[in-house]
Amino acid sequence: MLNNLYHFKKELNERGIFFCFSGPLSQDLLVEIGGTLKHKMKLEEASSSTIFKLFSMFVEQTQNIIHYSAEKCQPSREQSEEAELLSLSSGIIVVGYESDHYYVLCGNMVENEIVDTLREKLILLQNMSKEELKRYYKEQRRQGKNGNSQGAGLGFIELARKAVKPIEFDFQNINENNSFFTLKTEI
Amino acid sequence: MDSLKIKATKCTPEVTFNAENNILEIKGDSYPENITDFFSSVFTWLEEYLGELKNQVFTINIELNYFNSSSSKLLLDIFERLEEEVEKFDKKIIVNWIYDAEHDNIEEYGEEFKEDLNSLTFNLVQK
Repeated sequence: MLNNLYHFKKELNERGIFFCFSGPLSQDLLVEIGGTLKHKMKLEEASSSTIFKLFSMFVEQTQNIIHYSAEKCQPSREQSEEAELLSLSSGIIVVGYESDHYYVLCGNMVENEIVDTLREKLILLQNMSKEELKRYYKEQRRQGKNGNSQGAGLGFIELARKAVKPIEFDFQNINENNSFFTLKTEI
Repeated sequence: MDSLKIKATKCTPEVTFNAENNILEIKGDSYPENITDFFSSVFTWLEEYLGELKNQVFTINIELNYFNSSSSKLLLDIFERLEEEVEKFDKKIIVNWIYDAEHDNIEEYGEEFKEDLNSLTFNLVQK
C-alpha cells in the first residue's frame, strides 16, 4: 500500500491528471476545489476564457454528482431530526490536460432505471451542432422544472455547449440495481 | 419599501436594494447547491416591491462573474416576471447586464438573455 501510492501518482501524472478526488462530495468542497483549480490554471497562464469554461464544467459535473449520485451516505432518522445532518453523495472527479486540452472526467453510480433515458439524452446532445445546442438550451431554460431535475436538465446542455468536442460518456453495469456513469468533457 | 441586503458568500451573490434611488444590485458568483432556496427570498421581496412600484424607474444592475446553469434558469424567471410588469402595467424597468471587457463568456450570456426578451429594457454594459 505504501509504495503503491507513488506508482498511483506517477500513473496519474503520466496521463496528464493533475487533480483527482474520489469520495463524498459537498458544496463546500466544490467551492474550495474550484478555487484551487482556477489558481492552478492561472499559474499555467491559461486564458481567462479557458479558466472560466473549465471552472464551469467542473461545477456542473460536480453538482451533478451531488444531486444525482446513487451512492449516498444517509443520516439515521435521529441524526437528521436532532442534528439536522444531511446525506452525502459520493463520486469521482478527475481534471487533467492532454493533447493541448483541459478536460473534466467524472463518475458516479446511477440507478439502472434511469440509464436508458440518460443515454438517449446524451446521444441527442452529442449529435447536435453548436447552433442546435443553443436553441435547445434556450428552449429547455424556458420550460419549467423537468421531473427530478433541479436545473431543467440544463447542466448537460451547458456542458455540451462549452466543450470543444462532443461530450463522451459510458455506462458500466455493476449489479441489478446500479450502473457506473462516466462523463468526459474537454475544453 | 425597505432596503434589502443579502451578503455575498463564496457561491452566492450580494443582493442589495437601495430604496433612495430604486436600484437593485446583484453582484458576485452564483452557483449554490440549491439555487431555489437562495432566490426564494429575493423573489418574495421582488413581488412585494413590484406591487408597490408606480411611476418611478426601477433599475436592476447585474454584475456576475460566474453563474451555473440552474442560476441561469432563475435569472430568466426574474426577467420574464419583470417583462410581465412592463407589458401589463407599462412599468419602467431597466436591466443593466454589466460585464468585464475580458469576460466574453458573460457578455455572450447577456446577449442570449436579451435575444429571449421583448419588451424589457435590457442593456449590455461593459465595465
